Amino acid sequence: MTQTAKAAKKTTSAKASATKEAKAKAPAEEKAVTEVKKPAAKKKSALAFPFTSIVGQEEMKLSLILNIIDPRIGGVLVMGHRGTGKSTTVRALAEVLPFIPRVKGDIYNRTVEQYIEMESGAKGASAIKPEDVKTELIPVPVVDLPLGATEDRVCGTIDIEKALTSGVKAFEPGLLAQSNRGFLYIDEVNLLDDHLVDVLLDVAASGKNVVEREGISIRHPARFVLVGSGNPEEGELRPQLLDRFGLHARIITINDVAKRVQIVKLRREYDEDPEAFMKKVTKEQQKLQKKIVAAQELLPQVTMDDAVLTDIAKLCMNLGIDGHRGELTITRTAHAFAAWEGDKEVTMKHVREIAGLCLRHRLRKDPLETVDAGEKIDRELGKVLGEAEAAA
Amino acid sequence: MIAFTDIVGMDLAKQALMLLAVDPSLGGVVIPSTVGSGKSTLARAFADILPEGTPFVELPLNVTEDRLIGGVDLEATLASGVRVVQHGVLSKAHKGVLYVDSLSLLDSSAVSHIMDAMSRGVVLVEREGLSEVHPADFMLVGTYDPSDGEVRMGLLDRIGIIVPFTPVNDYRARKQIVNIVMGKRDEEDTQDELRMLRGLIDAAREQLQKVSMTNEQIKGLIQTAISLGVEGNRVDIFAIRAAIANAALSQRTEVDDEDLKLAMKLVLVPRATRMPEREPSPEEMAQEEPPPQEEEQPEQEGEDENAPPDETDSEADEEQKDTPDMIEELMMDAVETELPDNILNISLASKKKAKSGSRGEALNNKRGRFVRSQPGEIKSGKVALIPTLISAAPWQASRKAEQARKGIKTTAALIIGKEDVKIKRFRDKSGTLFIFMVDASGSMALNRMRQAKGAVSSLLQNAYVHRDQVSLISFRGKHAQVLLPPSQSVDRAKRELDVLPTGGGTPLASALLTGWETAKQARTKGITQIMFVMITDGRGNIPLGAAYDPAVTKAPKEDLEKEIEALALSIQADGIASIVVDTQMNYLSRGEAPKLAQKLGGRYFYLPNAKAEQIVEAALS
Repeated sequence: MTQTAKAAKKTTSAKASATKEAKAKAPAEEKAVTEVKKPAAKKKSALAFPFTSIVGQEEMKLSLILNIIDPRIGGVLVMGHRGTGKSTTVRALAEVLPFIPRVKGDIYNRTVEQYIEMESGAKGASAIKPEDVKTELIPVPVVDLPLGATEDRVCGTIDIEKALTSGVKAFEPGLLAQSNRGFLYIDEVNLLDDHLVDVLLDVAASGKNVVEREGISIRHPARFVLVGSGNPEEGELRPQLLDRFGLHARIITINDVAKRVQIVKLRREYDEDPEAFMKKVTKEQQKLQKKIVAAQELLPQVTMDDAVLTDIAKLCMNLGIDGHRGELTITRTAHAFAAWEGDKEVTMKHVREIAGLCLRHRLRKDPLETVDAGEKIDRELGKVLGEAEAAA
Repeated sequence: MIAFTDIVGMDLAKQALMLLAVDPSLGGVVIPSTVGSGKSTLARAFADILPEGTPFVELPLNVTEDRLIGGVDLEATLASGVRVVQHGVLSKAHKGVLYVDSLSLLDSSAVSHIMDAMSRGVVLVEREGLSEVHPADFMLVGTYDPSDGEVRMGLLDRIGIIVPFTPVNDYRARKQIVNIVMGKRDEEDTQDELRMLRGLIDAAREQLQKVSMTNEQIKGLIQTAISLGVEGNRVDIFAIRAAIANAALSQRTEVDDEDLKLAMKLVLVPRATRMPEREPSPEEMAQEEPPPQEEEQPEQEGEDENAPPDETDSEADEEQKDTPDMIEELMMDAVETELPDNILNISLASKKKAKSGSRGEALNNKRGRFVRSQPGEIKSGKVALIPTLISAAPWQASRKAEQARKGIKTTAALIIGKEDVKIKRFRDKSGTLFIFMVDASGSMALNRMRQAKGAVSSLLQNAYVHRDQVSLISFRGKHAQVLLPPSQSVDRAKRELDVLPTGGGTPLASALLTGWETAKQARTKGITQIMFVMITDGRGNIPLGAAYDPAVTKAPKEDLEKEIEALALSIQADGIASIVVDTQMNYLSRGEAPKLAQKLGGRYFYLPNAKAEQIVEAALS
């Protein structure tokens, strides 16, 4: 808010009169529809502070990058102090994300294979040939889910306007469709309404979104990397949702004067002239993007020795972690981390770096426990490593 | 209407608002003050010193989500048959002021939406088939009375300036306010003064770009923030902006000590979580990190940032020592002048870590304030009629055609299907009732009572925010006694708790029954969440009958256990949550307390030397 408010007033009154006009229009006039409804595409808001200029908070940055390298890790929950750049970092992600191919103009961001599978099934007879489908490259989508979102906008619903004006039943996809093969970000995730949490849990588990309404039945892929952030003081997260997140990054206030001065300086420089600032960091941003793509390409070649897997299993067992999600997440994350480091083989060195991220939120909560979760994981890890060394 | 320049006293609040007028990117100003201080009058007069035509929107406390964020304008949509969008209050305040009176009473979902808009500068409207982005870059001005509760820390973090709390008792200032209200001031004088002030602010805005600040000064503010334990980096930037805005107001091109001190006073000190020490080392600071629940404790990786492992860090250390004492003196000065009034706030702020969040304010289908409608079954709640009709409206033509095709004759004007039904969602603000049941028998009783009293008053300190209530039941001798009926009043609790008899037998069954009766009464008043906090070793030795028949003094052990078990199971079945805090030394315990917790379906805590805070923590966890 730095400019005079006069201009603002103009836009406000312009909007008000537009609404009035719309009110005055007769229902049959189709033109009014296009005037009032704005395309969802204009979502691209102003510039975001660049990812590469974010000082410190390595844990959060690494978690996000690992999830780009392998989306199957299952997302990340970022919890921590206020004003430490949680949402800034997530929103900065969009600029360094690689591109993915999708069927041209497809609202569900489907691949050619997904498209053919779904559409051929629907139409029955004539199978679609891959060579007939046009594709395009789009940046991995990042969709922002605001707390006040209603269920119909999240899942998609029947397009009411089309129904009113032309009597056609058309499906209007929601945020879940937009986020397919991309990131779904929820700031203040611990404050999200319960019924939306239910929807998310459902879709996250199945990878599909199903909408049935007015005789229309839509089922579309909705696989996304769930990213949530919040301040633990504001409220607790439902255990089922907590469990859904692959990684749990924590973020605390930096208490180093030099670093804090640097943060403030970068931020002020950016605020003064965002475009010039972005230009300055273009090279670094591109470098990061390239490194991510390289890791993605290396990932299929990364291997892991069975001995490492045994150690991971031991670690999870010693920590008393239920189910197998812990092991699975560590394994995947360690692979991604090895790829990120440019290594073709996963070792316990890699595991050590990411174990805390993968397990912190899976430890059983004990009200009388005084030891920090991270310390506990480290200690058990040390024991497992010690045993391994003794055996060797 | 009282003009900005007519208001006497509250100089710091006025200064704060002027800084905000100069640099709206300070985000806002919060003014805590007691009733009758004229804080709301001052806040409303803020419009006087802003450029003409700046939007000034006052947010009603009972605002619905629709009105706040914006959405479909039902009336216009129905009238025109075309979806008409209505901007919400947040967007109406764009490039202007959003004013909230009694900010601490605003419900938590509204606070979340405001926080979200402030961090984005826009409102994302993803509702009822709409997907739009509305600009919402506003300054938030909030006033509140701290006795109503505190404002959520997350929101305060996005607001640049927090005016230190000052009760008004300046007799002359009050008299002058009265004079103004009575119209004893010259209107022309007022207008002249306002014009001058606006000119000053306009000039300061232009000056803003020209003000420079040295590295040392920036470092000084950041060091102060660190010594005061201020959370996050956003506040650092606010402090810098405040110092620069103040320099601009004085038409200076350089920031001076006064500017720094003011920035500390208005931005940093009110967010302090600890008293500053002279020359604290980074290691010490890391240790002093407020330790919240186990999972958020800074772990090894995090702490590495504080230790000086690499060059940059050790450099920083040296620089820290090199910094002139001036900064430290400024800080101590700012702290000493402002802290005494705020010390309570600080302790509250850290106590409020009480992970309560939206506890006591759950969305439900039955009672509370209507917030929104959503698809649902008719049986599951109250039907939201208009949203239901709207959702059915578009399909009438096709449904009638369908029925005609099937040969069904219908006389209904509207065909409403199951999928059209929308039910109302309410936000329940009734909070939780904590019923403390304290074992006042035996020798440990005095200590237990003291802890319970501490816990009760500590819970009450924050009770109002969550609409929580507390009740206290003591049991000793022949039967239990309600010492404090469900209440939110701290004063009342103190009065009732002052004299407490202890010693005698342990009528545990009577306590359970009395607690259950208290809970039932509370239910009729709309309190849905009830929690028993039992501070006892769980060894009852007086039967229920003793309360009614003086002849009964004891019963066989099995009978006592049966009574307690039956009561505990019924209480659990009634949906009452419980915790049992065992204060008995381990070697004396025979496992009765864990058994009681199990029968109640509650949690068991073994806290032989329980402190009040531990009990509160257990109750809130």
